[in-house]
Amino acid sequence: MPDPMREVAVVAFGQSDHVRDSAETSEVEMLMPVLHDVLGQAGLKARDIGFTCSGSSDYLAGRAFSFTMALDGVGAWPPIAESHVETDGAWALYEAWVKILTGEADTALVYAYGKSSPGDVREVLTRQLDPYYVAPLWPDSVALAALQAQALIDAGHTDERELARIAARSRTAAADNPHAQLTGSVPAGDYLVAPLRAGDCPPVSDGAAAVVLAAGDTARRLTDRPAWIRGIDHRIEAHSLGVRDLAASPSTRLAAERAGYFEHPVDTAELHAPFTSQEVVLRRALDLDGADTQVVVNPSGGALAANPVMAAGLIRIGEAADRIRRGASDRALAHATSGPCLQQNLVAVLEGES
Amino acid sequence: MSEVLTAPLVVEFPFTRSLGPVQSAFLTGLREGTVLGVRAGDGRIVVPPTEYDPVTAEETRELVEVAPAGTVTTWAWNPAPRRGQPLATPFAWVLVRLDGADTALLHALDAPGPDAVRTGMRVRIRWAAERTGAITDIACFEPHDQPPDEGQPAAHDGHFAAPVTGITTPARLDYTYAPGRAQSRYLQALGGRKTIGERCPSCRKVYVPPRGACPTCGVATDTQVEVGPRGTVTTFCIVNIKARNVDIEVPYVYAHIALDGADLALHARIGGIPYDQVRMGLRVEPVWTEDGRYPDHYRPTGEPDADYDSYKELI
Repeated sequence: MPDPMREVAVVAFGQSDHVRDSAETSEVEMLMPVLHDVLGQAGLKARDIGFTCSGSSDYLAGRAFSFTMALDGVGAWPPIAESHVETDGAWALYEAWVKILTGEADTALVYAYGKSSPGDVREVLTRQLDPYYVAPLWPDSVALAALQAQALIDAGHTDERELARIAARSRTAAADNPHAQLTGSVPAGDYLVAPLRAGDCPPVSDGAAAVVLAAGDTARRLTDRPAWIRGIDHRIEAHSLGVRDLAASPSTRLAAERAGYFEHPVDTAELHAPFTSQEVVLRRALDLDGADTQVVVNPSGGALAANPVMAAGLIRIGEAADRIRRGASDRALAHATSGPCLQQNLVAVLEGES
Repeated sequence: MSEVLTAPLVVEFPFTRSLGPVQSAFLTGLREGTVLGVRAGDGRIVVPPTEYDPVTAEETRELVEVAPAGTVTTWAWNPAPRRGQPLATPFAWVLVRLDGADTALLHALDAPGPDAVRTGMRVRIRWAAERTGAITDIACFEPHDQPPDEGQPAAHDGHFAAPVTGITTPARLDYTYAPGRAQSRYLQALGGRKTIGERCPSCRKVYVPPRGACPTCGVATDTQVEVGPRGTVTTFCIVNIKARNVDIEVPYVYAHIALDGADLALHARIGGIPYDQVRMGLRVEPVWTEDGRYPDHYRPTGEPDADYDSYKELI
């Protein structure tokens, strides 16, 4: 990609504790403490923010226009410059990044939330599928991921033991993540849809996350070590599952190329892989399994440890940025996905300044 | 802290969708027991067929007939079928490449167990007894012992009598709705015929009904304040169209009402007065039905009208 005119960095990241059921709080009650946290980290008030963008889906909680109610937690009066995407908040961050590049804003507040507990998220996600040929069959999200997992096994790219190791590594790593929902030793469990066992699948989560972006010297003023977004790109594949090679992710690879990922090695990768098998696909697309690579993958535990749908991708960017901000990483990849079987993929490359 | 309320919520919608020419030919074909594909720019036969090339996005129009039998390209065993899925007994989800096609179609495979399923196995369509022109005209796939038909798919003009031009797909999602802390407090107080607002600690405004946050300041409302029961009509409209499932004679008045002590107007129906006599500033009070959890409507109190300046900020 051409060099952007402006440098943009993540200067603050916050998230809720992710839980199975947050019935005691409404969306805005769940989100508001996270917004206050990131604004506090950046030393900003809502009125100082140049652009606000959020990601969420009304289908999750069955609550029409929930994103307008969530805006109550921002304090949107006098009127603010605001936008919303009906997908993961990683795409809201992309929109905010573009907005800052245009020069129309110096700072942006990006947030995302998802409450899967009120509904049946496996069923809810069928409503995003092709309404003519696929949605009438109600194939749930685990079933579609299982078709992809079997395709990987058939191609010789993985087996059930490796998938179990990915699950164990993720939840062991999550023991150090105070916000994670599923940590430590988690049994593999029965097949939900074979070849995927319960342990290969993400927990059902309620949660929220927020990020503050800032440009150039504003970012340097707001935090000691900004996590600079050196490149970010997102790509999509054909919507018909039977047209795609489910064992590969050309969209992830293309987005990574466009984001400059392959130009220098990274030390950390936060991958948005809700299912163990999807990590295998992403590792292959991103060459993470080379003999001499020592990339730390999902030190947060990833979406297998907490999966607030619509926020889990933004959290990957936030977790990668936090590692840079605290000096644990110099160059990190963050990935977010949307749709069935890794249909759409976003890759960001983040760096610290030495 | 009061108990958090929950209630069942059903979201149900029959989506009516029109079909493009390729989709129409494919779904009408299913009704007639014929499976059609479409040729993509790279020569591949796409089944189920799309209106546009999956790679180049060019329009696709060249239809061909493919076989009702094919080969499993991947599968997943579903031990616990869920509502709306093709079979009620355990089955395999399959992607099937029909003979003559180059892409695969998602459906269910009726098989006795996972040991009877493998990638590469031969399957054929089991047609639904009654067919309407929908993907569910394929009831499912079933195991098949015939080798692939190696012939080239024949061109098809896509013409059938009485083509299907649209589909109606019912969708239903079930939720357990939870309104959160602030609205639970509000609804519980309302059950005792009290209206509770919440005050913003920053701007001091009292919001009714409370949503948990001050939309101006972006902070949690932290103090419960009883407001009303009386209030003032700040603005209103006359409803002349009867809503489905609402048993109220038209015309009637729907109004914004600023309850005494509240800084935000709520809305409710006005009764007990001819619709054409309702006016801004009218003083009203709630009318409760015997077992109602919220006021049925508001009626005039008989007090003199409120002065415009007393409510102009709340319009």
